[in-house]
Amino acid sequence: MLIRSVVLSVFALFSVLGCSNQKIDSKPTITVWHWMTDRDSAFQALAKKYESLTGIRVNFELYAPSDAYSQKIRAAAQGTNLPDIFGILGEKRDFASFIKAGHILDITSYMEADNSAWKNKLFPKALAVNEFAPGNSYGINPGIFGVPIDIMTIQMVYNKKLFGQLGLNPNRPPKTFQEFLDIGNKIKAAGMQGLVSGWGEVWMIDCLANNYAFNIMGKDKVLATIRGEVPYTDPDWIRVFSIFKQMQESGVLAKGIVTMINKSAEQLFANEKAVFAFNGSWCVNVYKGMNPNLEYGAMLPPAASDKYPISIWGGAGSSFMVNARSKNKGEAVKFLAWLTDQDQQAYLAKETNNLPANKNSLSKIPEILAQFARGMDYATHPNIWGVSEFSLVIEAFDRGIQSIIIGERTPEQVAGEVQSIKERELAKKRAR
Amino acid sequence: MKAAIYYKTKKFAVNTIIHLFLISVAITCLYPLLWMIVSSLKTQDMIFKDISLIPHQFRLENYIRAWQEGGFGRNFLNSILYTSSVVFGIVIISSMAAYAFSRLRFPGSKWLFIMFMAAMMIPIPGSFVALYVLLNKLHLRNTPIGYILCMINVGLSTSIFLLKTFFDKMPKELEDAARIDGCSKLGIWWHVALPLAKPVLAVVIVFNALTVWNEYILALIIFDNRQFMPLQVALQTFQGEFVTNYPLLMAGLTITALPIIIVYLLMQKYIVKGVTQGAVVG
Repeated sequence: MLIRSVVLSVFALFSVLGCSNQKIDSKPTITVWHWMTDRDSAFQALAKKYESLTGIRVNFELYAPSDAYSQKIRAAAQGTNLPDIFGILGEKRDFASFIKAGHILDITSYMEADNSAWKNKLFPKALAVNEFAPGNSYGINPGIFGVPIDIMTIQMVYNKKLFGQLGLNPNRPPKTFQEFLDIGNKIKAAGMQGLVSGWGEVWMIDCLANNYAFNIMGKDKVLATIRGEVPYTDPDWIRVFSIFKQMQESGVLAKGIVTMINKSAEQLFANEKAVFAFNGSWCVNVYKGMNPNLEYGAMLPPAASDKYPISIWGGAGSSFMVNARSKNKGEAVKFLAWLTDQDQQAYLAKETNNLPANKNSLSKIPEILAQFARGMDYATHPNIWGVSEFSLVIEAFDRGIQSIIIGERTPEQVAGEVQSIKERELAKKRAR
Repeated sequence: MKAAIYYKTKKFAVNTIIHLFLISVAITCLYPLLWMIVSSLKTQDMIFKDISLIPHQFRLENYIRAWQEGGFGRNFLNSILYTSSVVFGIVIISSMAAYAFSRLRFPGSKWLFIMFMAAMMIPIPGSFVALYVLLNKLHLRNTPIGYILCMINVGLSTSIFLLKTFFDKMPKELEDAARIDGCSKLGIWWHVALPLAKPVLAVVIVFNALTVWNEYILALIIFDNRQFMPLQVALQTFQGEFVTNYPLLMAGLTITALPIIIVYLLMQKYIVKGVTQGAVVG
């Protein structure tokens, strides 16, 4: 009897002690994995603000650099250890593979609730990168699977001080390609350096060439070329290749541009040694670090044709996805909706010099960022075209332009070479 | 007389060429280090504007900021713990294994050795996902012991190869003498083989210390908890996707490089001996 009483008392005591230490906390903690070193402090500040407003704690965990982050995400997906919110770096097919594996929540219903209130706040082209259209080639059910937290556009920038030295109006950048070439002649005469860009990392050549392809022949013809319905030897494509020859001949391109890496190009422009640069909107942050007093403006690449509007590459800069297996997915979606609200987006833009994904935030951000953001009206991106070019064709295309700039080949020769590779790849594809 | 002058001139010319070559090699090795230290004392915009090696203003506060903003304190201790544990583990396991492969005859020893050597051919990043899944199943993910075990595994193959090469060349008479004196196999390993292998062990220690000290990708993958991260992960704080905070990064790199330079200097004479004795043959 005594033993039984002692055992029961001990059991009761342990039960009480055991229960007394358990905190009943109905508020979940949301964990976010990200790779954005330059945005970490701003994220932490916003997380504190969110906690003070809602009582929900948000842990932003930084894993940089981005290539290590990508490996961590893949490994965590294998072990089903993904956090509540995360980002996927890579191409759209990587994104699609995560969706297929059931790791990413379809947030269409949240976006379209209340007459699409959330969706309408965001730049549609930024959302497009996170969207899968009906009948997409990845076999994903149509819907929105990610939230853009900022956007980026790739445009041209010009140095206002050097513009003044050339006798040009610093507030009127060239609008037409001919005006641009005329400035090239002035640059050559003044012994200055013209356009700098990371064309040694060839994708930036591809980007500008596609801008002009959209301008000269329109989106449909560009996509038809990718599908193999229009040859690269078409006169419009020859004109696209010739754009680079004309730029080189006018002197608007800086010396050594074909082998230039973007960091060197950024350094030259920031140190006021080049009149123009072709760069992404991230350059605002870069130039600020290299030369805080730099006076410059953003501009669209000058149009070479009136037939179609000029297009630039742009879209979601960084996006977050919600873990479909997370027990906090509802709260995670609510947090992302809050993060993309006007005030939070303006705060992020000011603190990090990135462009806001919320189109209503433009009035609250510095002018140079707003100039880049306004370019979103002209933005496109290969990720949303629905078709993609063979990598060997892209390589031949970009290398071909490099050889035109250094005078090794003519536009016609490059067009012929690119087309022959295209035909070879198409034949291989048909044979499969 | 003429011949003497000829040979003296020839010797002088050859020496000059050799010295010029060695000086140029030394400059290419030392210049990045010098640039790192100089940049750690400049501001961000001065790094891009002023390329001189003597800064106009010495911004020593970069070191304090790097230490504080990078959260170096905890990470520094972690790196010391990981490096010392891993190197200790590698030295013990690889020296025992290498001695066994060299001196003991047991079935399948050759195959086992070949398998260890084959592991050297697998690039480390290729095994990250597999390691992650394995550690997850063993409930060792996000634990320092899991990371230490992985890193010991990473360094074993090369260390076994180096030590086995040395033990193969070691005179057997020394072991026979020890056996006559009553030494067991373990005793011979401890009292005879290991003391003789000091130069090779120095190479093993320095090579592995360098690998563990500089490793961050595996740490980043298996740790979720920031308090377990090594020093190199803290350095990434200053390196953004498009923007790098060079003064703080360089200050952080200087802090990070110091311990490993000290280890190298302490082990230098053994490393030279190890290399000259053919420890790194192959």
